[in-house]
Amino acid sequence: MDSYSSHSPPGGSISPEAMMDHVKAQLAQAYAEEFIETLRGKCFEKCITKPGSSLGGSESSCISRCVDRYIEATGIISRSLFSQQR
Amino acid sequence: MDPNAAGNPELIQLLNEEKQRAMVNEAVAKLTSACWDKCITGTPGSKFSSGESSCLSNCALRYMDMSMLIMKRFQSMQ
Repeated sequence: MDSYSSHSPPGGSISPEAMMDHVKAQLAQAYAEEFIETLRGKCFEKCITKPGSSLGGSESSCISRCVDRYIEATGIISRSLFSQQR
Repeated sequence: MDPNAAGNPELIQLLNEEKQRAMVNEAVAKLTSACWDKCITGTPGSKFSSGESSCLSNCALRYMDMSMLIMKRFQSMQ
């Protein structure tokens, strides 16, 4: 919460909206970091099965596909949980 | 937290909404991870097969069914 404390006016009063904007930005950052960490784990497991002396072309393309599919999978799961036909 | 903010009902309301959203996000992330491991057994292709996408969707729904059953089973032990 560094940027919050450095931007808060003296006396500590800050509007709820400004506070929430800050909280949301912090959360978005944290979600993105966590998601990327998950992608690293999942795609490393799938695509770097036998680490060689450098990252091969087929490994790189596997990683791109893995990232795309994982994002797609998140959408499929989210839709199946929240769609109307439950 | 700032004591002025903590007593502000509007802020508390907004924070609770954000908390709900965070819990939903977390549940989706957890299910995606578990179902990815179950359903995507080969190397990821350029698109999901229909088997893979229906597995993902079934996996999420069955997880919810299971979680309900576990809850009932647990309550019956009390």
